[in-house]
Amino acid sequence: MFLSLREIRHAKARYALLLVIMLLLTFLVLFVTGLARGLAYANGSAIENMPVNYFMLQKDSDNRFSRSMLDQTQLNEARSRIGKDKMASLGIRMSTITVDGGSRKTDIAVFGVDMSGLLAPDVIQGSAVADTDEGKVVADRKLEQSGVKIGSTIKDQATGMSWKVAGFTSDASYSHAPVVFMNELEWSKLARTSSMPGGPAEGAFNAIAVKGDKAVLAEAAGTMTDVDLISKKTAIAGIPGYSAEQKSLTMMIAFLFIIAAFVLTVFSYVITIQKTGQFGVLKAIGVKTSYLAGSVLTQMLLLSCTSVAISLLLTWGMVQVLPASMPFSLKPAVIAFTSLLMIAVSAAGALISVIRVAKIDALDAIGRAV
Amino acid sequence: MKRTMLALRHVTRTFGDGESSITILDDLSFEVSEGEFVAVLGPSGSGKSTFLSIAGALLTPTEGEVVIDGQPLSGLNSQKLAGLRLNKIGFMFQSANLIPYLKVEEQLLFVAKLSGMDRREAQRRAGELLERLGLEKRRNYYPERLSGGEKQRTAIARAWMNRPAILLADEPTASLDSNRGQMIVRMIAEEVKAEKKAAVMVTHDERMLHYCDRVLHLEDGKLREA
Ligand SMILES: Nc1ncnc2c1ncn2[C@@H]1O[C@H](COP(=O)(O)OP(=O)(O)O)[C@@H](O)[C@H]1O
Ligand SMILES: [Mg+2]
Repeated sequence: MFLSLREIRHAKARYALLLVIMLLLTFLVLFVTGLARGLAYANGSAIENMPVNYFMLQKDSDNRFSRSMLDQTQLNEARSRIGKDKMASLGIRMSTITVDGGSRKTDIAVFGVDMSGLLAPDVIQGSAVADTDEGKVVADRKLEQSGVKIGSTIKDQATGMSWKVAGFTSDASYSHAPVVFMNELEWSKLARTSSMPGGPAEGAFNAIAVKGDKAVLAEAAGTMTDVDLISKKTAIAGIPGYSAEQKSLTMMIAFLFIIAAFVLTVFSYVITIQKTGQFGVLKAIGVKTSYLAGSVLTQMLLLSCTSVAISLLLTWGMVQVLPASMPFSLKPAVIAFTSLLMIAVSAAGALISVIRVAKIDALDAIGRAV
Repeated sequence: MKRTMLALRHVTRTFGDGESSITILDDLSFEVSEGEFVAVLGPSGSGKSTFLSIAGALLTPTEGEVVIDGQPLSGLNSQKLAGLRLNKIGFMFQSANLIPYLKVEEQLLFVAKLSGMDRREAQRRAGELLERLGLEKRRNYYPERLSGGEKQRTAIARAWMNRPAILLADEPTASLDSNRGQMIVRMIAEEVKAEKKAAVMVTHDERMLHYCDRVLHLEDGKLREA
């Protein structure tokens, strides 16, 4: 500490520069991470927030809801093997709507669910929809941005069917589109009206959401007709665009870490090389190599901890001014992991310098007319 | 009998191996007692730095033994040797041997801290040394703001800080003009008396010898009395 602190004090500009580089890199990592998590949430929050942990899909549907088609046979099987209160059917369709007779189009995801079952949406405003209600839906409140209000009528472009929005729910997105929940009655009507050849048949849906122990569920799935059991995580990863989006963001984050490691290593190494003479003198007058190595490491840790702390503050400040529509989410665990990784990367970057310090010969100090 | 601060016994040092090996120090024996300030004179390349490195536990001799303040160096590992250099030996080099980011007083406090000296005691000792060397007004200066002479005076103060048995100086006046060089040598001599310790200075400059108790010549790997 004695040397590290005083050296920073003496060469403020140099260390400020290093600090700023680390700070910007850390900030960027946190920001992109927040964005990636935010986008992931915006993409799959409707699935994420379902109170289940597994889904049953038709065999060979590549973990994609859209490729899976189940019917009453499987539903009945599931009911008898898992129990009525631990499962619910789920129908999913992407659709385009217009609001209140206007011409502006909005993409939505339609979820057909049992309104008294596990997947019934939590209504935060307006009223819920019962299983017997006709022509009524509950919409994600993000649709407000498209002009939807309680009582608005939304019209499906493909089928011409329309529904009244009875209530709003929140945090329900699928494939970046707000979700509109309808009961099984309306879902069947939609399926029937749908003129697309190969479209959902009457009484058909895409998946069965189930909850319980993996072993129990897997066993049940094994005895059922033509179904696969997949975890919620796998199901979310199967949402169209999800994997591609997350992969490219994860790659960016990985590259930022690589850049950080590289910049810090080079910077620390160059500083250490410049100080070769000094380290020689210090070793000659009896300073132990371990002390010098510790000093190099302490300095790097001081810098990286400070820059992480400042970039956390910056990130926090930025979150305060971000528009609400911007998908951004940073959980404490993610923040802690990212910060620790950044500190670990900088410590690793200092390691090469430490090796260099260990190799410096005390003899260099003597007899040299520097 | 005065205490022997440094002894080299039948020290030989060769560099390289096989046919290309050269012998720089050849069966050299040497002793310095308490209160003595010895100068070792020799032309450039005669092996003065090699001699001082061996005496200062920085280089091991090919043959022979080095004893510092009663402690033989053979068999000590690098950690022990570093500790010995810290506490038993004060070093002064030609130039550039101060730490650029430590203020004058901190250069002294740093080595005291490493040797585990009590903080208040270190403050007192640093103050006393800086005063004796005329540096009390410079205690909060960085080396970059010191003149060449002041830098070497700081180096003297740092070398004596941990009360070493012996001070080893490698051409301490090489970067100074003649007057300033002589002042530095005088100060080393005064400190040897004040601390009741010993010092060895190697130099190739014959004008620096007034204050030395003994002058030796390093020739053909051996030391001869002048
Ligand atoms: N590590 C080494 N390897 C080979 N030769 C060396 C080494 N160190 C010193 N020498 C040689 O030993 C001789 C004496 O060097 P040195 O002790 O530095 O002399 P001085 O300090 O008197 O100028 C020189 O010829 C130098 O080239
Ligand atoms: Mg020399």
